[in-house]
Amino acid sequence: MSKHLINPDKCTACTSCVAHCPVTAATRKFRGPKMVGPALERMRLSQQDEDPSLEYCSNCKNCDISCPSGVPISTLNMLARAKHFESNKQSLRDNILSHGEQMAKLSSAIPGMSAITNLGMAIGRKSGMLELVGISGKAPLPSYAGESFIKQFKKLRQENFPDKVVFFPGCFINYNDPQVGMDFVAVMQKNKIEVVIDEEFVCCGSPLVVNGYLTEAHDNAQKNTDIITKWIEKGYPIITCCTSCGLMLKQEYQELFALDAVKTNAKYMYDSLEFLTILKDDGRLNKSFTKFDSKYIYHAPCHLRAQGFGLPALEVLRLIPGLTIEDADAGCCGIAGSYGLKADKYDISMSIGKNLFDRIIATGVDTAVCDCGTCRLQIGHGAKVKTIHPISLLSKAYS
Amino acid sequence: MLTAEYAEYAEWLRKGRDNIALYNRKHSVPSATSAYSAVKRYNMHHRSTRANSIYGLEIKSSPVVSLDGLTNAGVLRGALYFLIKESRAMQKATVVVIGGGATGVGILRDLCMRGVDTVLVEQRDLAHGTSSRYHGLLHSGGRYAVKDAEAGKECIEENIILRKIGRHCVEATEGFFVRTPEDSEDFEVKWVESCRKVGIPVTPLSVQEALRLEPNLNTNIKSVYRIPDAAIDGFRMVWQNVASARKYGGRVLTYTEVISIESVNGQVVGVKVRNAFNGQIDIIQCDFVVSAAGSWAGQIAEKAGIKVNVQPDRGTLIAFNHRIASRVINRLRPAADGDIFVPHGSITILGTTSSEADRPDDTVPSTAEIIKLLDIGAVLFENIRDYRILRAFTGTRPLYSADPNAKGRGASRNFVILDHADQGLKGFVSIVGGKFTTYRLMAEKVTDLVCSYLNVKTECRTAIEPIIEDPSPKLLAKAKLYFPAYGTNLAASRLGADGLEQVVKRIQQKPEKSQLLCECENVTLAEVEEAASDSTSYMLSDVRRKTRMGMGTCQGAFCTYRSVGAVDATGLSWSQDTNGLFKEFLQARWNGIRPVLWGNVIKEAELTRGIYDATLNINGAIEYEK
Amino acid sequence: MKSDLLIIGGGLAGLFSAAVAAKSGRKVHLLTYGAGTLTIGGGIIDVLGYDNDAKPLKTPEEGLEKLSANHPYQKIGKHTLEKALEFFKEISIEEGYEYIGELGKMQWLPTAAGTLKPTCLVPKTMDARVLWHTNNIYVVGFDYLKDFYPQLVAKNLQKVYGPYTTITAEMCSLNFAEGRDVSSLDVARWLDTKDGREIFIKQLKNKIKPKGVVIVPPILGTLPNYEVLDSLERQLDCRLVEAAAMPPAVTGLRLRMMLLSYIKKLGVTVIEKALVTTAITENGHCTAVVTDNFDRQRAYQAHSYILANGGLYGGGLKAEPGKFIEPIFNLPINTPATIEEWSNVNLFSDKKQLFAEIGVEVDELMRPVSADGATLLSNVHVAGRNLSGYDFCYEKSGNGVALASAYKAAISLQGRDEYE
Repeated sequence: MSKHLINPDKCTACTSCVAHCPVTAATRKFRGPKMVGPALERMRLSQQDEDPSLEYCSNCKNCDISCPSGVPISTLNMLARAKHFESNKQSLRDNILSHGEQMAKLSSAIPGMSAITNLGMAIGRKSGMLELVGISGKAPLPSYAGESFIKQFKKLRQENFPDKVVFFPGCFINYNDPQVGMDFVAVMQKNKIEVVIDEEFVCCGSPLVVNGYLTEAHDNAQKNTDIITKWIEKGYPIITCCTSCGLMLKQEYQELFALDAVKTNAKYMYDSLEFLTILKDDGRLNKSFTKFDSKYIYHAPCHLRAQGFGLPALEVLRLIPGLTIEDADAGCCGIAGSYGLKADKYDISMSIGKNLFDRIIATGVDTAVCDCGTCRLQIGHGAKVKTIHPISLLSKAYS
Repeated sequence: MLTAEYAEYAEWLRKGRDNIALYNRKHSVPSATSAYSAVKRYNMHHRSTRANSIYGLEIKSSPVVSLDGLTNAGVLRGALYFLIKESRAMQKATVVVIGGGATGVGILRDLCMRGVDTVLVEQRDLAHGTSSRYHGLLHSGGRYAVKDAEAGKECIEENIILRKIGRHCVEATEGFFVRTPEDSEDFEVKWVESCRKVGIPVTPLSVQEALRLEPNLNTNIKSVYRIPDAAIDGFRMVWQNVASARKYGGRVLTYTEVISIESVNGQVVGVKVRNAFNGQIDIIQCDFVVSAAGSWAGQIAEKAGIKVNVQPDRGTLIAFNHRIASRVINRLRPAADGDIFVPHGSITILGTTSSEADRPDDTVPSTAEIIKLLDIGAVLFENIRDYRILRAFTGTRPLYSADPNAKGRGASRNFVILDHADQGLKGFVSIVGGKFTTYRLMAEKVTDLVCSYLNVKTECRTAIEPIIEDPSPKLLAKAKLYFPAYGTNLAASRLGADGLEQVVKRIQQKPEKSQLLCECENVTLAEVEEAASDSTSYMLSDVRRKTRMGMGTCQGAFCTYRSVGAVDATGLSWSQDTNGLFKEFLQARWNGIRPVLWGNVIKEAELTRGIYDATLNINGAIEYEK
Repeated sequence: MKSDLLIIGGGLAGLFSAAVAAKSGRKVHLLTYGAGTLTIGGGIIDVLGYDNDAKPLKTPEEGLEKLSANHPYQKIGKHTLEKALEFFKEISIEEGYEYIGELGKMQWLPTAAGTLKPTCLVPKTMDARVLWHTNNIYVVGFDYLKDFYPQLVAKNLQKVYGPYTTITAEMCSLNFAEGRDVSSLDVARWLDTKDGREIFIKQLKNKIKPKGVVIVPPILGTLPNYEVLDSLERQLDCRLVEAAAMPPAVTGLRLRMMLLSYIKKLGVTVIEKALVTTAITENGHCTAVVTDNFDRQRAYQAHSYILANGGLYGGGLKAEPGKFIEPIFNLPINTPATIEEWSNVNLFSDKKQLFAEIGVEVDELMRPVSADGATLLSNVHVAGRNLSGYDFCYEKSGNGVALASAYKAAISLQGRDEYE
């Protein structure tokens, strides 16, 4: 996407985004996407000032989803935030939350370290240390897995197939929830596809962008894009299981950094569930599922909805005999990556998610299905139910 | 009291009822104020050398409402008698300036600063004419350097002065002169040399660096120079000059049309004027008349039976929704159509065309002109058609030529002072030609001439005294408590110290008045109220020109309703026909939208109609059955 | 992805045609880009308020016959229009958010400008008939709500309702902590809460005489039900009427929620942020429409298609210097080349605006036709604002045409004409 199109020109001030913004609904401290985004963007170009309410934007992208005119609202907000942090320093808290990958690398570098990190967080929570740096002591902090996905993957023996895909695990799956990655490999194997991993991949940059570390995010974008280009040139599609990583790699790299290669690459990059629907449409999806007798509720992450191809998880999971799954259709869960972890945003985040939690609780199911790792944390926290990635559910159905 | 006098007063009272109510509300005259004290206040003003200045037109109305409650017949009688006498005397000034554009208000201010009792009459609103219908460029002189060194020199000198005295109106953006592959290299050489000779600082810049600073420029550009161009806000400049002139006793009558210039034995004795709203005719007695009517100067001179050869020349411009460049971008070629882009606060203006105008108010832009501008503009900004147009507008340049055959851009843009004593009418001067950048200089020269006639020896100080005072850091800090982000600085530069203080006061009294009526241009309810209550406001467009309300993205789609509601609540006499207010404001926007009715403009127009026509039904007849 | 019917557009026409088609058992996919104009419009069904000479009609029905032959209503027919309104009301009852009104009655709804506007179907929160049966009307605004001025409304309505009705403007304080500017939607969210309702009642209780009628901005809750209305009316012992007002349209949002809820229950698949940019057609038959996202194009196949992506505002029509474009199928749009001819010199005039009437010409089954009247695409039907021949602002006919054309399109799908 050409840089000159990242501007407020398409906005007609219609207020559609204001009406659909979950943060706006939850707090009056946020002036709303239209004001903070396109309206003030016109001022930003001439005035040296920033609206303090910009920090309340969670980058959930419901503004972009509801905009009838294609205004890059959330992108304008993220670019403005980055500009703000060119001359202001981020807090220690934001630094920590943006650099989960580094922390995770540290944790996993030393055997047993992750347990200590997790323990440390538990202690931090109890002792109020987290609150001290501005992380909510109540929020559902992710814990680190004993062994990262990549480590587990390397031990795994896959069956070789001519069809191969490159899997971009992303930080959350790699460090916090490696089972989703392992399940993805299992599902691919069931469909006669071999999964390839590239250890050079770095964090997609999503947590960096929301906290204003745009230059770092740009570096990551360039690195990942170079790697992706290399694989795509070899004919490998790129698959993600994390909807925020997918959105970042395919779309936000174009909007934020105008990386030319991304436009071409993105054609060959897929969300894991969408990939399965394509297999299905091609008649080559393995449908030998074991029969289920259970009921689930599905929450569509905002960052999936923002990608404009519907809810493929429902389409695929509904192929499993006996499984009933209902779309919660109750809006944003509120966590927005690290947003709900911040002490000053925790209540807003829980207030945003209330609709969804109530909806899930009302159905009486014990497990909610969702493609996004942090959404799952939030749902578990807010609705007190078990959560599962659709790929993991599928993997179960195959076994 | 004589019966005849009383009848006259009663008649006047009837006519002026609206003005009275207006005055009382505006100046918060409590109903208990006695006529006596009002008269006393009035007397005090008259004793001062500035004469009946600050209360201007409204003085005759000031005590009237308070009369209602009076029982003291003696005071009443005395007050009425006094008023009748003085209401005639009020229409008197040493100098009448005709025209509320930059030049006119510049002259008003200069005369008042030199202690000359002056009233300015304007047929519409201040800055309604060419002073707001141009690209808003504070010339460095670069554009004139080759063809007219003298004009170039005037520009650079005035440029430096205006940056100092009018810093709230000037945005020191600097400018680029950019040569595209279509432009002559020879001209570039000539231009650099001419600028050097005139004394305009010109610095060459690498194309790469220029593209880094202005990434939207066409990448094929050949050479770039930095030059001290700047953006200047025409509305604000005019308005702030008036605010300053008022402090020195100046008076302003808007919506006041000149019918004739009265003379006795070849000497000007007064100006006959008509109120544009109620048709009331008055005579302003004066010793001197200065016509600064711009494109209308020919018509004004004619009213005194004198021929002044001003040919209005149409210039159409486009306002874009955002700043596509941070600097003034000029095409480096001999001056022609569509070669200047000026970033202006939140918008960018592209201009200008040039074609002979039928009338001075021949200001409806045509689609053909817009398309032409876009085609030319695309040479500097290749993606120009991707940028949203807000509206188009047209002004008329007042081109003066002693030779009636000189036309268009070829005619001189330099100004000329015509002392009509040469044609046998003493006390009448016209100033014609010129450009916005040199408005102060023009005013100085005319004022010098007028002062020499009046035997006033006071020196001109307009080149050194700032037009309005900066708000103090204390006031700014206070304002920041109430204004939303961005709002403080924007409002401070629009309002200056006095205005900002008033607006802050309004918000302090009622915090809900900090709400933004205009979210596109960040205008608070308090500021709209303040502008509405000024004696020169008679409709919402007048408020718009003072505040920028309605001049942003939505072009009135949202702020029209809010501002109608807000001014209606003030109880001002002009603000009560709400459907009329809606239509006036939106129609004024529509005039600039209609010629560019495509893309996002037509989309916004559909939204505006959806709100005001479909949802609020401000135009439909209402006929119902229970 | 294959379906029986693919609908392009998530506004009123798109959602309603989805409801009609899904109700008849079709597998429906709906592609939407943005939340549709229901967020902006008032959530009421204007059918026809004025005739071609700007004269107010006694009933919407009365004006139908006199419309010019190319008006959508003439193509759709009164019978189908009635059916559409009936089905719409059925949905509203089923969803617990009943709309009231009929084709044979004009409803005159108060607006935030203090005018009345003629409309046809309204939710019960906008039942303005009660205003004729009271001598005490109150107009209530909120101190921080810049989108509603009770004095202005009261003053102007006084001219309408005459001197025997007392119209009083009242101001209610919002107990909001400091924050951004307030919209009607914020007040509606406030009244969703028990606290908000209590504070509201407490402030009004002493000001309002029992059996009075209270005009408020659209604030009676965010959800498509009457819980807020009923609870406030009960406690205040008065009737409440929401005025038509500025966006964001709380009432429009309720209508959108209601329809989405209805169609999702019927299994309609809604795909958000899906911008359809082009279509694949063969021999006058559409085989797929194609969305274009940041990553790639995706083709959606269906048996039939309904094009309900709006007009100039929604993106279903685009205007460029000298021409109108229908961007997906590139349908012919008859447009004068001179832009000055597209509109009247006055924004508000006694004539319809040509640019509002420009759109897609259709046959009796709402399928696009060429300049000489030949059907261009056998399985594509057009509904809503992109149709030619009507000026919804001038006529007050917007949502009526949307419902009627959507209904007509959905019952005109091949092989399913038994609904006529």
